[in-house]
Amino acid sequence: MPIFSPVGEKEVTRAIVGGFMRQFEEYTESDVIIVGGGPSGLMAGRDLAAKKVKVLIIERNNYIGGGFWIGGYLMNKVTFRAPAQETLKELGIPFEKAVEGLYVADGPHACSKLIAAACDAGVKFANMTIVDDVVLREDNRVAGAVINWTPIHALPREITCVDPVAIESKLVIDATGHDACVVKKLEERGLIKTVGFGAMWVERSEDLVVEHTGEAYPGLIVSGMAVSTLYGLPRMGPTFGAMLLSGRRAAEVALKLLKRVPVA
Amino acid sequence: MSRRFTAYLYSSAATAASVNLEQLAQYITGWLPELTIELRDGLIEFYFSKLNPDERSQAIRQLAWGFARARVRNITQPKQPFEPLPGEVDYEARRLANPASRAWGILYEGFELMHILRGLIPEAERSWYHIHIVFINQLFGTWEDSDRRYHARVSLYGLPSILSTGGIVEAPAKPREYYLLKQQYLALGMDDAPALLEARFQDRCIGHDDPRLTEVMKGYLMQALAYHFWGDPFCSDKSCRLYNAHWQEEVIAAQLKEGPDFCPAHAQRFKEGLRRLPSA
Repeated sequence: MPIFSPVGEKEVTRAIVGGFMRQFEEYTESDVIIVGGGPSGLMAGRDLAAKKVKVLIIERNNYIGGGFWIGGYLMNKVTFRAPAQETLKELGIPFEKAVEGLYVADGPHACSKLIAAACDAGVKFANMTIVDDVVLREDNRVAGAVINWTPIHALPREITCVDPVAIESKLVIDATGHDACVVKKLEERGLIKTVGFGAMWVERSEDLVVEHTGEAYPGLIVSGMAVSTLYGLPRMGPTFGAMLLSGRRAAEVALKLLKRVPVA
Repeated sequence: MSRRFTAYLYSSAATAASVNLEQLAQYITGWLPELTIELRDGLIEFYFSKLNPDERSQAIRQLAWGFARARVRNITQPKQPFEPLPGEVDYEARRLANPASRAWGILYEGFELMHILRGLIPEAERSWYHIHIVFINQLFGTWEDSDRRYHARVSLYGLPSILSTGGIVEAPAKPREYYLLKQQYLALGMDDAPALLEARFQDRCIGHDDPRLTEVMKGYLMQALAYHFWGDPFCSDKSCRLYNAHWQEEVIAAQLKEGPDFCPAHAQRFKEGLRRLPSA
């Protein structure tokens, strides 16, 4: 007796296409598009979705989580400075105290729990998707993203005349890490100027990323390491606590802004 | 004895945990008894205290823009004027609205910082007979032509003189082993490296909120006064509190050692005090 139901290839394909298309159509318009599915983007998405905000996270890789799977030197332990352990508790991520004020968790466990928390809260994902440009509305306000499949960018130039599509949102969060991809799109248009990395390392600079997280341009919030690139903050090592707290701050700012954003 | 000169020492909530103004005032009085000393809140809070709420809000925005514009964005280029990003101005506005907040990691142009702070000093107190010394938490630097880069500083003397509690930690170089170990720790992905190193090198370096900071700052205060009265804040004697230390170990040797505080020449100058200076 067969274990699985007798379903044919065409039904499998219909299920994939149907499910994808329904979601894609629904999310051609969302409250917040988060570009980047690393720790700060996931945290922002989870906090927003938990408040019933319609969130789509765009990720250029097929996997979600960014660099949150591993810590330094490819070792899969991730560290957090206090008070980030409070967020770990909230997400149900097991951790141990390493020394006073420093906590350590398993990278795979921490990352998968954060992804699950975002999914459980209602975040939807468009992975293998890259942002080609931003949608600008009146007064050059950021109001969405122009997207394409990631593999398109790997094709030879001669055959890359594959037009992107645009999706709209009330706000966009740039959580693309050091690349600051969305900010760079505005920079290409001369609308903003990034400062670039700060040349010096100064102790305790981690706070700066959280403190500078916020609306960098009308309709655009910057979160995580993209904040460093925009404001030229000092370089840091793997500081996942700052990424989580920056994501939280981005969500708080977004919630505040959504209350005064005109309904599309 | 006429008390012609008044020194105003400013310390905000951001530096209050690091420096004890009363102890510093007592120390100055011990060397320069003829100098009147007035302790004040931070200079910015002192300025805000004279404004109504509307004026205060407006002043916060103006000062925030000024501080954001005073940032050094590239330490290898002489600073050029730039229009600060809105997020930078917002950050400064939040910091100004909360005097206890401390700024880590941003380097400001020292002379621009001094210019901003000078504007907050009451007109009536802008003369040689009023000495303003401001403790701040922010890190500042000045451009050095000899090696074409900015250098973080502990102090900048003028109107007002600025002493940075962040600068005393970051500006004087730490022992060479510190930097070698830090490179290794960071290569291993240890993001707690600064805390570990701070503990390991605490005898050879000054740390943030170090209980020795008040003692260390006595020497920098006297440098500010020496600059004000005699035009030269520094001494070449490494054991004198007026020594311009470039290494943490030199700071400790000059400021935390046992024995006389000053070299014989400067001890004599402080003992003579302000008697030979012109009257008001």
